[in-house]
Amino acid sequence: MQAKASSPQSTGSGGLRQYLNRDLVLQYGVVWAFCLLLVFGVIAYPGLFALRNVQNILSQSAPLGIVSVAMTFVLISRGFDLSVASIFALGAVIFANRADPFGLWGAALTVIVVTFICGAINGFIVTKLNVNPFVATLGTGSVFGGAAFLYSNSAPQVPDHFDFIILGTGRFLGWPISIWLLLVIFLVGAFVLSRTVYGRSLYALGGNEEAARLSGIRVDLIRGSTYALTGVCSGLGGMILASRLGVGQADMGGSLALDAIAVVVIGGTSLLGGEGAIWRTAIGLLIIATLTNVFDSLAINTNVQQVVKGFIVIAAVALDIYARRIRA
Amino acid sequence: MSDTTLDRPRKTVAGAERAAFRATQVTKRFGGTLALDQIELEAEQGKIHALVGENGAGKSTFLGVLAGRVVPSEGEVEIFGQPHVFGSPREARRLGIGAIYQELTIVPRLSAVANVFLGQPYAKRGLLSERRMREEFLELRDRFDVSIDPDTPAGALSTADQQMLEIMRGARSGAELLLFDEPTTSLAPPEREGLFQVMEQLREQGTTMVFVSHNLEEVLHIADTITVFRDGKLSATGPRTEWTKASMVRSMVGHEVTEYRRVERAAPAPGTPPLLNAKGVTLPGACEAISLELKAGEILGIGGLVGAGRSSLLRSIAGVEPMSRGELFVEGRQVPWPRRPRHAIKHGIAFVPEDRKSQGLVLGMRAADNIVMSNMGEVMRGGVLSERKIAATSREIAAEFGYSADRVGTTVRNLSGGNQQKVLLGKARFCNPRVLMVDEPTRGIDIGAKDEIMGTLRKLADEGVGIIVVSSDLEEVIQISNRILVMAHGHLVDELDQSAGPVAVSDILNSAFGVEKNAS
Repeated sequence: MQAKASSPQSTGSGGLRQYLNRDLVLQYGVVWAFCLLLVFGVIAYPGLFALRNVQNILSQSAPLGIVSVAMTFVLISRGFDLSVASIFALGAVIFANRADPFGLWGAALTVIVVTFICGAINGFIVTKLNVNPFVATLGTGSVFGGAAFLYSNSAPQVPDHFDFIILGTGRFLGWPISIWLLLVIFLVGAFVLSRTVYGRSLYALGGNEEAARLSGIRVDLIRGSTYALTGVCSGLGGMILASRLGVGQADMGGSLALDAIAVVVIGGTSLLGGEGAIWRTAIGLLIIATLTNVFDSLAINTNVQQVVKGFIVIAAVALDIYARRIRA
Repeated sequence: MSDTTLDRPRKTVAGAERAAFRATQVTKRFGGTLALDQIELEAEQGKIHALVGENGAGKSTFLGVLAGRVVPSEGEVEIFGQPHVFGSPREARRLGIGAIYQELTIVPRLSAVANVFLGQPYAKRGLLSERRMREEFLELRDRFDVSIDPDTPAGALSTADQQMLEIMRGARSGAELLLFDEPTTSLAPPEREGLFQVMEQLREQGTTMVFVSHNLEEVLHIADTITVFRDGKLSATGPRTEWTKASMVRSMVGHEVTEYRRVERAAPAPGTPPLLNAKGVTLPGACEAISLELKAGEILGIGGLVGAGRSSLLRSIAGVEPMSRGELFVEGRQVPWPRRPRHAIKHGIAFVPEDRKSQGLVLGMRAADNIVMSNMGEVMRGGVLSERKIAATSREIAAEFGYSADRVGTTVRNLSGGNQQKVLLGKARFCNPRVLMVDEPTRGIDIGAKDEIMGTLRKLADEGVGIIVVSSDLEEVIQISNRILVMAHGHLVDELDQSAGPVAVSDILNSAFGVEKNAS
């Protein structure tokens, strides 16, 4: 058991032979896929690695990436959250609407509290009312989404606050603040999942809830907390997007829920729970972002992009199921 | 009774008196274990045949073979003179077999009528003929003298009525050979009586019935012939009149073996205060007001048959059953009744569930992660899980249970059953329990791992841990325990002390079956 194990699944003990076995090829297949994508990407679009383009890719995918980190937690614990797009939009409109009266910090705090409550409601419905998470978050997604429209009167919220756009467009040490935030959240997420009791408990409960419960793990509390986490991360993502565009709108969530789930499963985190890692989500995000960037640069129709991405998600999940079967 | 074929009076006329079933050399292997070993048995038509035996003796497997559900590894079965086709419920039905399992196969949302006609409704050009089905349902109902409302959803009926629906389904499909797997376990006495009446009626109409039962009294009451299984073999078969409860138990156990390989045990000194004291443990429907006492360093075995409530007792004390109630004293101090496993662990009570795969282990995780799971606070440094501590402590625990310390990094899914069991026990051990409750410590594992596990449990007891063991392998219970409690039908029926000398398997069975002490 080597200490560098990045997830509780890695089997440790080195040797070149290990890296050639089928399991590892399957396990790290997504990394090779990403490398391949970079090679083809740079051929199709030579400007891919330009610093400006890289910053652009990353800051554009910051909101999705932040939500995806939280979604990784939810999926590892064998949950599901479809309400993130609505909470995201709610965060965006509240942030834009409250920026003037409360100031930026006050507005941000409000968003975090509200989105935390939204997520906690999801957690309560899933763990205490035992509603299937798919249905529960489909329902609350409608509730929160409706609330965002009601709150904003379906109108774009444009604050006068001069610094409103700082979160989305400001820079720190030469790089956009949104990229720093993305990085910090990825690092913290990876650390919590792999090195803390909480993270380990998530894997346990996703892998076998009954075993986790019998081990004395507070399964309801931990499962519920993952929804609170997606709530807050969605709110944060919403704030970043609203800030970048200088406006908060109730339809900003779009297909975020499915996009975030796509990012996580493309990286190789299983929908069946108990397995997965944050680095996988990072690769998944980079794959989607690079693909979008290359397609955009080639002026490929977004509808075509949609079709291609759909196939990629299905292929990723089918591959995961296949890999599990041959491992069993 | 030593004869292995049933008495068949008019054997001479070929074809006129076919046996309901005839099994020849039927053998069934599950992996390495021999569940059925060359069974030769035939049954006369129009009679009730009972199959009895200890847990795992092979009686249910044999019933499965008759039903066509279990495909024998070797041997043949004829049903009413025709070769049996295995693996197809439809074919079995064509041969005239109806099977009623313990887990009923009713569809809860459908009406009683619809359930009886499930899979073979009356229909005209694809449209169901409701009236005809209802008429026939009412006819069947009169015949069996029961009062089930045709329109009630089956899920709202009592278990007895649901079972009755299954029997009606069998009777209606024209089954001539009805198979019952422990039909009375979930029935109250009057419902049992009702079932027996129906069985007698069916017998009068010429239906042959085979049933598996743990209740020797009802076997003597209703069966025409009784067949005893032991260790996958047919022990003896004969007409009811030749059997008594005591002789059945003797036949189940075989030649009385008293020379067990016993694990050395040091009895706790007399006067030691109890470590654990559970009073009036009750789990509705499973166990009733059970009290037990456990001393430090003592291994308490719980004997009994499957379904006696042994697991429920452990699960209740372990806080796994929120519906349970009782009083709990740890080292003489009363603690609140545990409603969560977490609470029990806090009081120093660890529990090893019977199904290591579905309840015990996270199969996708490493052995080390599974071991430390019950007490992750132990392997932290500076608030963070320390890989080095996880490795060191899990190696230590693994070695204690005879699991190779170098394999703590292996994913549990890839381990053998024996090694998985060692990891599971290691996990329970890791939270430093004062009381360790183990449900089926050695089920489905090889003999070497079994010995190691038994040895480790004994060693833990010698270190002062109180241990409660439930096992279907009664010899194992005798082998390891200081004291044995016997349960039957959710009640504590006997306590056998082994300090004077080992008890025999037949002692436990006699208690479990309710044989009077001096009757045998």
